[in-house]
Amino acid sequence: MLENQSLEPTTNGYKAVGHSVRRTDGAEKVRGEIRYAGDLHLPGMLHARPVLSLYAHARIKKIEVEAALKVPGVVRVVTAAELPLILEASESRKRNPLAKDEVIFYGQPVAVVLGETEAAALDGANLVQVEYEELPAAIDLLLALQPNAPLVRRKEGHGADLEAQIHATIEVKAEKEKAVLPPNVSNHVHFQQGDVEAGFREAAVIVENTFRLPMVHQSYLEPQVVVAAPDPLGGLTVYSSTQAGFSARRDVAAALGLPQNKVKVVSMPVGGGFGGKFGLLEPWAAGLAKLVGRPVKLGYYRMEDLLAANPAPACVIEVKVGARADGTFCALKARLIFDTGIYPGAPVWLAGMLLGSYYRFDNYEIEGLEVLTNRPNSGAYRAPGAAQASFAIESQIDALAHALQRDPLELRLQNCAVEGDLNPSKRPWPRIGLKECLEKLQQHPAWQHRATKGVDQGIGIAVGGWPGGLEPATALCRLDHDGSFTVTTGISDLTGVTTSLQLIAAEVLGLKPEQVTVHNVDTDSAPYAGASGGSKTTLTVGAAVVKAAEDARKQVLEIAAQYLEASPEDLELSEGKVKVKGLPSRSVTLQEIANLSMSFGGRFEPVFGRGSSAITRNAPSFAVHLARVKVDRETGEVKVLGYVAVQDVGFAINPAEVAGQIHGGVTQGLGWALYEQMVYDETGTLLSGSLMDYTLQTAAMVPPIDVQLVEIPAPDGPFGAKGVGEPPIIPGAATIANAIFDAIGVRVTEVPATPERLLKAIWSRQF
Amino acid sequence: MIPSLFDYFAPSTLDETLLLLDQYGEDGKILAGGHSLIPAMRLRLAQPEKIIDIGALRPQLSYIKQNDNNIVIGAMTSYYEIETSTLLKETWPVLPEATSLIGDTQIRNWGTIGGSLVHADPSSDLPAVLLALGAELVLQSKAGGERLVPIEEFFVHIMTTSIEPNELLIEIRIPKPQGQKASYVKLANKASHYAVVGAAVVVSLNQGIIREIKIAFSGLAATPLRAEGVEEALKGQLPNDAIIAAACKECAAEVDALTDLHGSQEYRRAMAEVYAKRAIKAAISRNLSLIRL
Repeated sequence: MLENQSLEPTTNGYKAVGHSVRRTDGAEKVRGEIRYAGDLHLPGMLHARPVLSLYAHARIKKIEVEAALKVPGVVRVVTAAELPLILEASESRKRNPLAKDEVIFYGQPVAVVLGETEAAALDGANLVQVEYEELPAAIDLLLALQPNAPLVRRKEGHGADLEAQIHATIEVKAEKEKAVLPPNVSNHVHFQQGDVEAGFREAAVIVENTFRLPMVHQSYLEPQVVVAAPDPLGGLTVYSSTQAGFSARRDVAAALGLPQNKVKVVSMPVGGGFGGKFGLLEPWAAGLAKLVGRPVKLGYYRMEDLLAANPAPACVIEVKVGARADGTFCALKARLIFDTGIYPGAPVWLAGMLLGSYYRFDNYEIEGLEVLTNRPNSGAYRAPGAAQASFAIESQIDALAHALQRDPLELRLQNCAVEGDLNPSKRPWPRIGLKECLEKLQQHPAWQHRATKGVDQGIGIAVGGWPGGLEPATALCRLDHDGSFTVTTGISDLTGVTTSLQLIAAEVLGLKPEQVTVHNVDTDSAPYAGASGGSKTTLTVGAAVVKAAEDARKQVLEIAAQYLEASPEDLELSEGKVKVKGLPSRSVTLQEIANLSMSFGGRFEPVFGRGSSAITRNAPSFAVHLARVKVDRETGEVKVLGYVAVQDVGFAINPAEVAGQIHGGVTQGLGWALYEQMVYDETGTLLSGSLMDYTLQTAAMVPPIDVQLVEIPAPDGPFGAKGVGEPPIIPGAATIANAIFDAIGVRVTEVPATPERLLKAIWSRQF
Repeated sequence: MIPSLFDYFAPSTLDETLLLLDQYGEDGKILAGGHSLIPAMRLRLAQPEKIIDIGALRPQLSYIKQNDNNIVIGAMTSYYEIETSTLLKETWPVLPEATSLIGDTQIRNWGTIGGSLVHADPSSDLPAVLLALGAELVLQSKAGGERLVPIEEFFVHIMTTSIEPNELLIEIRIPKPQGQKASYVKLANKASHYAVVGAAVVVSLNQGIIREIKIAFSGLAATPLRAEGVEEALKGQLPNDAIIAAACKECAAEVDALTDLHGSQEYRRAMAEVYAKRAIKAAISRNLSLIRL
């Protein structure tokens, strides 16, 4: 497939989109030629090394810097008081990168050493002595929820406490009943429909379980890194690994009190983001650069990124579901408790909403609590909240099917949400492909032959859905002298979207993909594009590129119409030429048009297309997964023998890249299911602080993945495309848990299903 | 991820190396393949003052050969050389097999058998295999010349051995097989692929009856460990699944087992029983297939 880069028409007669091509950045990445933010070395640049807290909660009594300052090459040791960032009423990691007076999580940066070399800075950081007075910490989620739990921070009226107080007195029910929530609870959400207790009275079967998921790190290949360089006129250039350049510019400008036009953010090639790089180190690095007047490189080592970034939150989800004898779902009651770490912001609303949204429940009551703990604050991770919600609800649907002695796929088809069904946010689903994905899997040989399996083998399926994000975006499209086009955007490319945008522009302009170059440029030059995340980049920026290319095409035809003395309607643009329909001899090439419009004494306006999108209709996308596993009953090890991922992608712009993105999501879903967890001890010390203990899969551990695409077009998406990124990570945990149940009859309620955890579940069932 | 300051020495001969070791003793640290030492230094878990890089001795200390009684392996022989050795495949194929389970290709290209033994990580694979094989280690120092240490006496505690600060491990001697067959199986830590628990078994049968058997665990405890109770229970038996299961039952119940994120003490003890059974069956079936031939 990849070898065939010809423009033979296939899908819908398209010549560029719908055909698999290599990524434009693939070769330079494979060869190691690409330069990331961490590869930058600016003249006069200092290296920053952080000093991290050894306590989850402690008062900082003293920071001793003398020994560090004596290290040759150490320039300065910076603490919170010296960092020139403007403080806000509410604390945040971006605005308060260094602890002041009090550390509130293990690994929190306390000071930072600037050195002429990385080695000097590191030697210095090792010599900074911090004296602490340990304080009681809120570590365990359910203990932190207790009314008498230690407060996450002592200071009153600041940050999280203030936030907690704001949220502490809220409406709990639709009635005006008020309840005071425990002091570490920072947010509360509630969704309700019908009468849930009456619903359960109609049920023939009811299943009830409590599910647990750990804190998980996004584990991008490239740790977070920023190089900030001051300029003599008071401005700053910030080279960052971020996936959100424009918001980094706002963050830095606001934190330093600079006008936005004094801050240029260069989004460097990103070595994976997965939601974890929505801005963290940028104001910190910028503040250091401003303080010393020299460029500063601030980057995390892998172990620091595990300790002090913004991982996905842990949670506990209690779910009770009931179904009538005919299989229709009658009641859902759920309580979600999310560990948001030191600051609010966990995706508890989204998780609660999604938990009740995949199926029609006549009656439901879903409650969500966000709890502060002395652990790092939660960040986004690919489909925030959805992976957690899917594990809980999809395990329960499987349990319902088992209790009803029903085929789990048919039971899902009977109850799955379709266009028009209201989700818990009381909005109707638009046209979605959940049912079609289930039907596609139903016909797949892996499902058809599910009865044929070896000893201790099992088949499991699960659903994942994602509402899809939206944000306005603009793109530009310029004709160049050689007849090719340059498309300019302000995105970060996390997933190969640059190649997709190239295909989109080539399709509109009737060109080969290589005749379009896409540049993703810095915030000084780029049209607005928003952050790359939320499964929206191809959808929203792609739609803008369609319009920009159409605009450029229209300008080309107008010039050609004058030049050829024909009406624009009689012209067609293809293969780099504008021809009069039916008169192939009357034509003008794009090069000629470029020369007529971009030369001394030229007659025509340069071709410069502009296109914007402000899509307001979400394009939700669904995935249904199947796994075949084999369980070793003596050790608790699970081997994934095969995996099928069905997904509605609207329209696959670059099918090979779509499949690749699904492979990646499935792999991370398997991480949720079987391997990944950030483990903290009771004092709040991170035990899985390196990749020796935090288990990431190697390629050899990933099973063969069969990707099956469903294409139900999104009305506003480019050529019908929907976001692809989020859905494939969502169903993994439940898919594997359900397959384990099918294999050995043991219900996994806590992931990852490590060998020891699963063996103990097997034991507890035997005795 | 930068080591602290150290002095670097690159001796070109064994004599020079031994002289440096004699001179620096506790402060000197031998750098062989570097696949244990360098990560520890980069993490600053190890901050040796003097590094003695013996890369130049590689041609001299990298070999796999046999004499009348022993297979002898030079201490700087790489995992890759062990994994691909024809002599080992013909004599003790368990060594290439166990070695193939170590790390990844890059690690096997650089890591050495001697480095692994002296580093004495309890979760390493080869120490347990060599314990079951009854290896002897040749240590050499400037002052004392050669010293022969049975492997039973080599491992003292986690990452601690009976090697003296002025000694260099130069050779591993393994008695040639006399009808025994061996196996090694392990439950790998999914993150690092080190052994959570591994079991090495060397067994010989006489008309189906177990004549002698040695079982050693990796990963289970602070040092590689023999399962002498199991060995005693099986000697003289005509093995079948029930007899093996009975012999292995709770075989690690008394062991002061390690505990970490990848296996609690309870889990490691249970896995010792499972992997002992699996390794015994694998080694026995290897004997039996020989008999059938």
